[in-house]
Amino acid sequence: MMLNNQQIDHSTGRRHVARAKILTVLTYVALVSIGVIMLIPFLWMVLGSFKTVREVMQFPPTFIPKDPTLANYKEVFSRLPFAHYYLNTIITSVIPTVITVLTASMAGFGFAKYRFAGRNFIFWLILATMMIPYPVTIVPLYVMAYRAGLVNTYTGLIIVSLSSAFGIFMMRQFCLTIPDDLLDAARIDGSSEFGIFFKIITPLTKPALATLTIFTFTGNWNAYMWPLLMVNTDRLRTLSLAIPLFNGQYASFPNLVYAASTMAVLPVILLFVFNQRYFTEGIAMSGLKE
Amino acid sequence: MWYKIQRKIAPYVFIFPGVLFYLMVTFIPAIIGVGLSFTNWSIITPKFRWVGLRNYERLLTDDLFKTSLINTFRYAVWLIPGVIIVSLLLALLLNTKVRGITFFRTIYYLPMVTPIAVASVIWMWIYDRRTGILNYIIGLFGLAPRNWLNDIKTALGSIVVMGIWLAVGGNMIIYLAALQGISRSYYEAAEIDGAGYWQRLRFITLPLLKPTTLFIVITTTMGALRAFAQMNIMTQGGPLNSTTTIVFYIFQAAFTDLRMGYAAAMSVVLFLITLVLTFIDWKFLGKGVNYDAE
Repeated sequence: MMLNNQQIDHSTGRRHVARAKILTVLTYVALVSIGVIMLIPFLWMVLGSFKTVREVMQFPPTFIPKDPTLANYKEVFSRLPFAHYYLNTIITSVIPTVITVLTASMAGFGFAKYRFAGRNFIFWLILATMMIPYPVTIVPLYVMAYRAGLVNTYTGLIIVSLSSAFGIFMMRQFCLTIPDDLLDAARIDGSSEFGIFFKIITPLTKPALATLTIFTFTGNWNAYMWPLLMVNTDRLRTLSLAIPLFNGQYASFPNLVYAASTMAVLPVILLFVFNQRYFTEGIAMSGLKE
Repeated sequence: MWYKIQRKIAPYVFIFPGVLFYLMVTFIPAIIGVGLSFTNWSIITPKFRWVGLRNYERLLTDDLFKTSLINTFRYAVWLIPGVIIVSLLLALLLNTKVRGITFFRTIYYLPMVTPIAVASVIWMWIYDRRTGILNYIIGLFGLAPRNWLNDIKTALGSIVVMGIWLAVGGNMIIYLAALQGISRSYYEAAEIDGAGYWQRLRFITLPLLKPTTLFIVITTTMGALRAFAQMNIMTQGGPLNSTTTIVFYIFQAAFTDLRMGYAAAMSVVLFLITLVLTFIDWKFLGKGVNYDAE
């Protein structure tokens, strides 16, 4: 009786294991095939950047370059002021990022840790304004920038991204978790309010600051619509503007376009790969309900 | 004394730059935009006249405006289910005990960090009629090559596919976070009751993911309504305006035709549409969403 029972258990257990194995295999098959599809554009771009014009234009296409060359990368730099586009993109990404992280964390701290007249109204106004899609304000925003003489200037490029509602909101949520006692203790020790922000809040919110930095930087690096409006000289062109333009001018040299694109994408991809944790946290955070 | 004053002033000093820089580029232009929509301003001359509701009246008879709305609607209607299904599927697959989750997550997320301008250019080459890899792949199945981005039948769909590719990674992470937040005890209880995988998915997972799905539907709708770069780079709204979406048309009206007032009126309408759609999403999908569930 005892033995019988055990036997039954054993065989259903084995069937279970077999089923679980099949499921695992199927899961991997699905994960890998979707992964390949997601990767194709990147592989196409990177592999294409090492091909000769002849190879890249032939049909049926090759996937792996037959005789890989680095010549395309060199040629991009000789045909375009590519280093200058890089510099413009770095300037218009780094400056707004530094300012946004500072203004958003300060504001988040202010909203989280002080009671003051108008606090709820202003916070509500920011949340309500988040509902307005960006393109809705683009026409009047351009008019404002045009009136202020900011078209074709670095200031014009930068001025629209000096703060972020997402950043303010995220930093507020983070600051709420910091106990008030900690701040009061610092006050008793004679710290000023700014001292509290820089000596206590900033170190304690480092992970949130890292997330915000990376998100803001990526957003700025990838910006397209506003730079398209602000810039019509080569002097101020960013990578996101230069690549489509280059693609139009060199339509018969996709290998050069691939090399330029690879170089434009590389910084953000490296940033992402080495700081994944912060990306994942930031995204998950944006999806969290209050 | 100084200490007390400092504490009173400090919060305003802290929030001032962040709030100012934000409202300066959102709230204030939105107000100006409403004013602008009642004028015939063309930006070349400082002169303009108030034209009352004429811009809005003209919208009613503008066929291209109607077309752009329909295109935007079609884009959203294909994009949203695509994004939801693929990102949910990926999240469910990754929420099992497989190894290498980080690796797969990285790959799926890559499109999200790719500059949209660069992604558009690369996809143009994938869709390329002569040398594109897509035509090569469908050729392997014996299908005739197509001119994907230059064909009324396929242009918008091609952009939708790229849109799904772009949006899946981020939404997968949101789903994954929500899945990991579901208490194991629900599943254990269901298992004791003899519920299989599909039953658990149908009666536990999906209902508990409803708030997340609502969030993704809303953000994807917003994203679809503001799609611009792809259209501007890949198709220029063509062929025959089949990919002219609302934002692309606003852009054209404002910066090619220099009809600032008219473009502002369209922007106002776009904003109203956003409000209505968000409200509808909320009303229909929000049914049964219980935010106090946890």
